[in-house]
Amino acid sequence: MKRPITAALAVIGYVIMIVPIIFVVATAFTSGSTLRFPPDGFSLRWFDEALGYEPFIGAAISSLELAVVATALALLVGVPVTLAVHRGKLPGKSLVEGLFLSPLIVPELVVGLALFQQLMVGLDLDNFSTLLVGHTALMLPYAVRVTGASLALADPALEEAARGLGASPLRAFFNVTLPILRPGIFSAGLLSMVTSFNNVPLSLLLQGRDFRTLPVTMLDYVQQSYDPMVAAASTLVLAATVVIAVIAERTVGFAKIFGGINQ
Amino acid sequence: MLFAPPDVATGEIFARLGEMLTDPYDLAVIGRTVGLALAVTIICVVLGFPIAYWLARSPSRWSGVFLAVAIFPLMLSNVVRTFGWLVILGSKGALGQLLVQLGIVEVAPQLLYTKLAIILGLTQLFLPLAIISCYSAVAQVDPGLDDASRGLGGGRIRTMWSVVIPLTMPGIVVAATLVFAGSVTAYTTPYLLGGSSQRMLSTQLFNYASTTVDWATASATALIMTVLVFLVSGLSSLIGRKGATS
Repeated sequence: MKRPITAALAVIGYVIMIVPIIFVVATAFTSGSTLRFPPDGFSLRWFDEALGYEPFIGAAISSLELAVVATALALLVGVPVTLAVHRGKLPGKSLVEGLFLSPLIVPELVVGLALFQQLMVGLDLDNFSTLLVGHTALMLPYAVRVTGASLALADPALEEAARGLGASPLRAFFNVTLPILRPGIFSAGLLSMVTSFNNVPLSLLLQGRDFRTLPVTMLDYVQQSYDPMVAAASTLVLAATVVIAVIAERTVGFAKIFGGINQ
Repeated sequence: MLFAPPDVATGEIFARLGEMLTDPYDLAVIGRTVGLALAVTIICVVLGFPIAYWLARSPSRWSGVFLAVAIFPLMLSNVVRTFGWLVILGSKGALGQLLVQLGIVEVAPQLLYTKLAIILGLTQLFLPLAIISCYSAVAQVDPGLDDASRGLGGGRIRTMWSVVIPLTMPGIVVAATLVFAGSVTAYTTPYLLGGSSQRMLSTQLFNYASTTVDWATASATALIMTVLVFLVSGLSSLIGRKGATS
């Protein structure tokens, strides 16, 4: 190695990022009933327990519902906004751009508190609707950025050509623009669904008795009991995330998805 | 409006804010939040920049794999990522056991619910963000400039300090801002790894809003958090602008 310091720092960095995840998986397969290391033996009992634990299953379904609906809403609003920002010449364009493309630094816990106070207590909205409002707002920038990144690569001349050849604006949009945008929309959707599903800070204060999200339910469980069931549940979430990540890598490419956010 | 609960007078929130800014316990929480966030920011930049530089410049085909490994955790649940530290740092955890087995200590030390635990947890959480921001900055710098500097007799370290780092400064500032703001507002990590002995603003906020249902104080805490985040992002865009004009 020509750069010993760089190499050492890189090793430390990767250890901190990855080793805890390995430990989660390793403890999930223990046959003992405490979070000890090395594990007592090999068994799948905690996977059985996690999959049979109603609060986790119910919360997983709730989280999935919320993620799908919030993502759909965010795309429904976000894609037209992206088109308007990139193609249109609307006044106040830079303001819209600034609003959606400013760095994603939002104290989500604070937004959650505000939503709780204003919508749930103030307007008496139920907690699913309030969560939906919050998650949709949080996902909007993802939708605008990631679809915007793929739109920026597309040639506006293609649309003009379609129009010149006699296609109506609507037809030009559905036959030319939308197919160009499809990978962008796909990756924006994937990313925002994963982000919504995993969200804690925004959702934390918006939990209800009938509608609870999975990450918050898991947090509560960890606080009450110190057994490996959460490790098993975490491993299942990890496995699902790996599958999604592979799909993302194969279809659009990681770097593109996340590159869209950080440019 | 954002900070005004429907049935709490605005005056009351500012009264609580005043109390918090003079109360030693609350000041300690604010100080701890800022201090830990600063520490995590420095660590993430110090670890993240070299990794990003290596990933961007290495001709090896493995660098693509390592980039993916660095980005992947961003898609993974924070609860899952943080939970791993409980297994490592817990009372029967791997690190404590290891230290005992190696004979370094007699009894496994308290590792969980310490500042160290929070720093490790937050570094794990935000290092990928730092790597990505630095990576896109390094990737935009023409590698020819490195070679030119070397060719003109600049050593490896001098090239780094006088060529690469100044050119990638905007990316480094963005990385630092994202990590600092993220650390100030993170909830899962201080909740699981800090517990009640290492309270940060976020865990306090949750406590006021949910456990003690003291909305005026919750709003005051939210106000402090928001001001901190906006202060830092304002400062960073100021630095960014100055860098762009000079």
